[in-house]
Amino acid sequence: MPDKKRKKDLTFAQKLYLPEIFKGLALTFKSMLKPSVTMEYPEVKFVPPAAYRGRPVLVEEKDGTERCVACGLCSRVCPALAIEVQPEETELEKERYPKLFEINMIRCIFCGFCEEVCPEEAIVMSKDYELVFTSREDAIYGKDKLLVPVDQLKDRLEFLRNFK
Amino acid sequence: MIDVHNDEKLLKALFEQDTDITIEDALENEMVINMGPQHPATHGVLRLLLRLDGETVMSIVPELGYLHRGYEKMAESMSFNEYIPHTDRLDYTATMCNNVAYVLAVEKLAGIEVPTRATYIRMIIAEISRIMGHLVAIGTFAMDVGAVTMVLWSFREREIIQNIFDRLAGARFTTSYTRVGGVASDMDDVAIEMTHGMLKDIEDALFEYEKLLNSNRIFVDRLEGVGILTKEKAIDLGITGPNLRGSGVQYDVRRAKPYMFYDKMDFEVPVYNEGDCLARYFVRVDEVKESIKIIRQCLNQMPKGEIIINSPKKVLSHKAEIYTKMEELIHDFMLINFGIHPPEGDVFFSVENPKGELGFYIVSNGTGHPWKMKIRSPSFCNLQAIETICKGQMISDIVAIVGSLDPVMGEADK
Repeated sequence: MPDKKRKKDLTFAQKLYLPEIFKGLALTFKSMLKPSVTMEYPEVKFVPPAAYRGRPVLVEEKDGTERCVACGLCSRVCPALAIEVQPEETELEKERYPKLFEINMIRCIFCGFCEEVCPEEAIVMSKDYELVFTSREDAIYGKDKLLVPVDQLKDRLEFLRNFK
Repeated sequence: MIDVHNDEKLLKALFEQDTDITIEDALENEMVINMGPQHPATHGVLRLLLRLDGETVMSIVPELGYLHRGYEKMAESMSFNEYIPHTDRLDYTATMCNNVAYVLAVEKLAGIEVPTRATYIRMIIAEISRIMGHLVAIGTFAMDVGAVTMVLWSFREREIIQNIFDRLAGARFTTSYTRVGGVASDMDDVAIEMTHGMLKDIEDALFEYEKLLNSNRIFVDRLEGVGILTKEKAIDLGITGPNLRGSGVQYDVRRAKPYMFYDKMDFEVPVYNEGDCLARYFVRVDEVKESIKIIRQCLNQMPKGEIIINSPKKVLSHKAEIYTKMEELIHDFMLINFGIHPPEGDVFFSVENPKGELGFYIVSNGTGHPWKMKIRSPSFCNLQAIETICKGQMISDIVAIVGSLDPVMGEADK
């Protein structure tokens, strides 16, 4: 490939500088009439697509129990060591359920690996991205905060079946 | 006694550097000043120690390590898949490029073949990432020398790209998109449509950028002839990427050692001979144009098909199979608990990143995690040039030079 010659020599009009200033001002005024590219966040909410990896949540079945069987794979794969699971036996058909399921939201890096390895489709990433806590204790989400009814997660479950 | 870090060592290095700069009316007293680690123009936490005579830099010592997180060591206690999110955090302006580079290295080590569609998707995302990285580079560089508009414009276009990543990978910034053996999720029609739209937007935007900067007298006069890195010096110092090509060496890993399908692609490697800050800027702008060409070709050639290889012992099976089949379920557990077991040996694989040649050197002892990993990060190697370039320059030009070298400290400090 031949060496490129760069354009650097300015024309006489460009050297005069004044016409360039007016051109710049014209552009500024033109930009004023263009639609804005920013989003006024607290008033206008960002709606993420189904692929979005927000806060990880546990899927709650229609009868109020969790799908999770406490196999501990999510806790094993988590690169940030954010998940803690303690299993216990139950009378239900699935035989095991998590007595304790905690995600430390300060540690979580939202990589989605827990969802990817889950053999029961029990932990999925939601669209929830507004996470606020006032203390470190509040940041540890237990089952009360993690369980989300399956109806609210339809988007994500459908996405997982189609694209994963 | 542990040899702790202290400033005396830095000062010693600063004063012992041999300088062949002669100033006509040298001052009696030289001054030592600190630039960074909190200086906004050092692109992160780079600290520069400068010895000044008036306004001329007599010698300079860069100090790195403020963002050191020990990624090479961390890899030794992680399985190969677990490490993917950490590659996002190397060069955080072009995350997908790092993802691709890392999995290509692991695949070479473990001998895993990748489906054609997955390779095409990887090429597309790597090139989109390259555009992303260069947009930040151009924007911040122009901001460093005074054009604050530029950084706002380039981040406006970056937003369009991040929307694509949001759709594709599920995250705007820390993508973690690739997997050993393929990619995480498929590129649907909407994402392809968005990519086509993005390419058009970027082309229009580039036209605008060039109108703003290329014939801008302040920009051109400020950078022309500043921070010249000669061809021989650039090769000696091991500079790669746009900084090397700005010095007139036509070396691009995509052409020199083609990986993926770059040998089938029709693109040019832009080279400028001047070796100054302006040349490095021009290389980046031209590379964005070449990337657009590559993405268009990939989108046209991309076939339908699988996005991840079906090899249950090395790669996670499809979800539907894990839910229904016992065999796949067992492999799922084995893979997560014990990891991929590549054969013993070592491998080095390098790719062309926006900053230069990113290489992963992995030594495996046959277990699920690497025995040793070394990352050859382009920003770190490019920073070697800072001493050569900055000597004898004015202090105000240091900002322009650091901006044109475009180091990302996340990568330099690892």
